[in-house]
Amino acid sequence: MSDIVTVKNLVEVYSDGTKAVDDISFSVQEGEFFGFLGPNGAGKSTTIKILTTLLRKTSGTVTVAGYDVEKQAADIRKIICVQSQETTVDGDLTGRENITLQGHFHQMKGDEIKKRVNELLGLVGLEEAADRRGRNYSGGMKKRLDLATALVHKPKILFLDEPTTGLDPQSRAAIWSYLEKLNKEEGITIFLTTQYLEEADKLCKRLSIIDSGKIVASGSPIELKRQIGADSIRISLENCQKDSPNAKELIKTMTGVTEIIDSEECLTVYAKNAGLLIADIVRALDSSDIRIASVTFSSPSLDDVFMKHTGRRIRTEELVKAPSAMYGGRFGGRR
Amino acid sequence: MTLLSDTRYIFIRYLTKLVRTPILLFFSLFQPILFLVLFTQLLSRLSSFPGILPAGVSYLEFAAAGIVMQNAFGSALQSGNSIVADIDSGFLQKMLVTPLSRPAILLGRLSSDAFRVVIQTAIILVLAYALGAHVTTGVIGILLIFFTLAFFGLAWSGISLALGMKTRSSETVFAIGGVITFPLLFLSPALFPISFLPTWVKDVSMFNPVSYCVTATRALMINGYIWSTILPAWGVIGLVAVVTLSATLYQFRKVVS
Repeated sequence: MSDIVTVKNLVEVYSDGTKAVDDISFSVQEGEFFGFLGPNGAGKSTTIKILTTLLRKTSGTVTVAGYDVEKQAADIRKIICVQSQETTVDGDLTGRENITLQGHFHQMKGDEIKKRVNELLGLVGLEEAADRRGRNYSGGMKKRLDLATALVHKPKILFLDEPTTGLDPQSRAAIWSYLEKLNKEEGITIFLTTQYLEEADKLCKRLSIIDSGKIVASGSPIELKRQIGADSIRISLENCQKDSPNAKELIKTMTGVTEIIDSEECLTVYAKNAGLLIADIVRALDSSDIRIASVTFSSPSLDDVFMKHTGRRIRTEELVKAPSAMYGGRFGGRR
Repeated sequence: MTLLSDTRYIFIRYLTKLVRTPILLFFSLFQPILFLVLFTQLLSRLSSFPGILPAGVSYLEFAAAGIVMQNAFGSALQSGNSIVADIDSGFLQKMLVTPLSRPAILLGRLSSDAFRVVIQTAIILVLAYALGAHVTTGVIGILLIFFTLAFFGLAWSGISLALGMKTRSSETVFAIGGVITFPLLFLSPALFPISFLPTWVKDVSMFNPVSYCVTATRALMINGYIWSTILPAWGVIGLVAVVTLSATLYQFRKVVS
């Protein structure tokens, strides 16, 4: 697949001397779901503004679909769409009118627009509210309408600047499923910025972590998390004091185990590919008559990745927990 | 031509917004209508003192030109609020990432301002007619009045738009609008005959563009086609327009780039 967005040595210095973007390079492949993860003020919105022809770069090379972002801005505007952080719906116009107007901005023909508007209203589930004025929509509906207006001209690339900030979990999940559908079924390349770990983890096939204007790490969420190294397996035993020395002996020799420590639950095992190890551990303890109360397994989260590269955690108003899986305590009970 | 069709879409958008917020229309018409109905009553006996008003002209007929002027002022100075709202909501940015013609954004706004001035002027003139003030020059005269006021409205919209884009605060636009309107109206023959004004006001009014515009409008309403008044007025408005619209264009370029 070919690169649809290429950015080389991009720098943006604001007039007050702030370096918002500090020499970043990356590329996005056609059809990819790519993301920028970083805290507020990291330079995410600035980058999007440059990519979408809204802001002039200080230096560097940026091309979108092969067009130079400054010399061929007009060509770029025809094939991109942007959903900005603010929901930009004209509250005095109805949902249908909002999308239609956007179609006109893209110089589409009347019949073509009509057909497309109906399609989009269906896609974002706003058929019933189509003829109500935007100001009467709920926050989630406005976001969905905003997304529909952005898609009217069947863009090749969709730029999303924190598309779900401020939304309730339900609306967020709805937006996520539309985005995944667009990316998979219509093959639209999506470039998304977010400060939500869960969002980046769930949606992005590949992402760059950005902090203070610099890219600190890039890769797929899985690759990035793997760089952290160890997963952790927390094991609690029915009789911890009696069994833990034996359990340690048994687990120590298994491949991939890097460290075993005594912890609150009883034992915490650090290992690569902990998912694969769990079965071995359970089996080994089981055959030595060591009864397990519970086993909890957790992978490193993108927050751990961020932490490793910046020494800080991403703080958002809603802290997303690392994905974890719980294996109930009945493993040791059989026999 | 995309510039023309784009301008039309922006024009329609602003008009739709205006029609759907009738409260705004109501408030911008409220003051001129209050003046037309009440203020002219307060001063209706002015015509019984000889030599103040032109012979055979009632105060209502005299003041109507000043009142339509005041109305044009009021609605033109609201123009900046719309651009502030579009900047704040991100709608301007949304337009800017489309192939939409850039000048169309301004032209659409300005033409909707001019159109609004014409409609409001028409409403006031109909009301004035009902109260007994006729436009002596008839239909063509009325069209020329529309043209003069719409042109004037455009020139002043420029100030409001430039301020809006510069300050990005609708409160500021609103406050400055209020501060500009009344001194300019009072320091002109908008509501009182020039002979009635103290000498210093007379002197100041010579430099007030509003004076020229109101005199021309009044000529069309009560005297006839006095081109020696009308043409200079258009010239003055044109000069104001060049200044204010250049400022608007300058600010717009800064916002857009």
